[in-house]
Amino acid sequence: MPDKMQEEILDIVSMVVEKEKKQIPLDAHLIQEVGADSMMALEILAALEKKYRIVIPEEKLKEMTTVNRIIAMAKAARKK
Amino acid sequence: MENQELKGKVGIVTGASRGIGRAVALRLVKEGARVAFIYAKSDDMAQSLLKELKAAGSEGLSFKGDVRHYETCREFVDKVKELFGGLDFLVNNAGITRDRAFMMMEPSEWQEVIDTNLTGYFNMARSAIVTFLKQKSGNIVNISSVSGISGTSRQANYAASKAGIIGLTKALAKEVAGYGIRVNCVAPGYIETDMTASLKEDLKAKFTAAIPKGRFGKPEEVAAVVAFLLNERSNYLTGQVIKVDGGLHTSW
Repeated sequence: MPDKMQEEILDIVSMVVEKEKKQIPLDAHLIQEVGADSMMALEILAALEKKYRIVIPEEKLKEMTTVNRIIAMAKAARKK
Repeated sequence: MENQELKGKVGIVTGASRGIGRAVALRLVKEGARVAFIYAKSDDMAQSLLKELKAAGSEGLSFKGDVRHYETCREFVDKVKELFGGLDFLVNNAGITRDRAFMMMEPSEWQEVIDTNLTGYFNMARSAIVTFLKQKSGNIVNISSVSGISGTSRQANYAASKAGIIGLTKALAKEVAGYGIRVNCVAPGYIETDMTASLKEDLKAKFTAAIPKGRFGKPEEVAAVVAFLLNERSNYLTGQVIKVDGGLHTSW
């Protein structure tokens, strides 16, 4: 289950930042290392909310710096 | 009766208890929208507006608060989304004047006007924009003033705030156009509201003589333009300033 979610989230990130999954290390900084921008973070957030039917407050945007952090955030929001 | 062209839309009008804001709220409800409004002072005026909105066809939502405070605006937007189930548009209208000869103007009179008229618009737009970006649709109409375009003496504070609103409108319009969000500005000239009611009669006559249409405008005439900007009909229009001033100011 956790791996499935990791894959799904990586799919979303890959689609939004328009990079192949293997170019996105889970701990790489999305803006500084992968080439994403802040609007992409918002698109990822919106996609996560839709896919998992969760609500992520916009304050969390600043924390969405790596795929691993995004996964942790989505998991935490799902538990609520 | 207006066409129900805004049916199903939910939006916010700030400073709706009086003047132009009140006319805008009423007009939008008559066109089928559900409207929430924030007001600073008059509970009586807010109550009577709620009654009028209901009579015009929709349950309104009122919120007492000061747009100068960002947290208040955030809370208001969250409340509207919670109770109305969404947010489609924002009409920034809340504004004040503290007219005075510049040499006599107190820093507090400058600050109050900038904080309410300009920062208040930022606070509301900033509170709503993430919702609009996420849903890839949204519409913001900012009420500016001809004073912000051509300047009016004894209104350095007000004119500066209203010119600032135009800059805010244009920059934001470019930034979010790709996300299905439009941002436009309406710049009224002399309109019959409380704000102009206190003008001295000789001054009123002087202003009237300068207006090609020969009279002050009515709040409803501004509201009609706001309704047009919120309508899909104006879909290709963004980042613009539309003067509603009876021909007073025609250059650009």
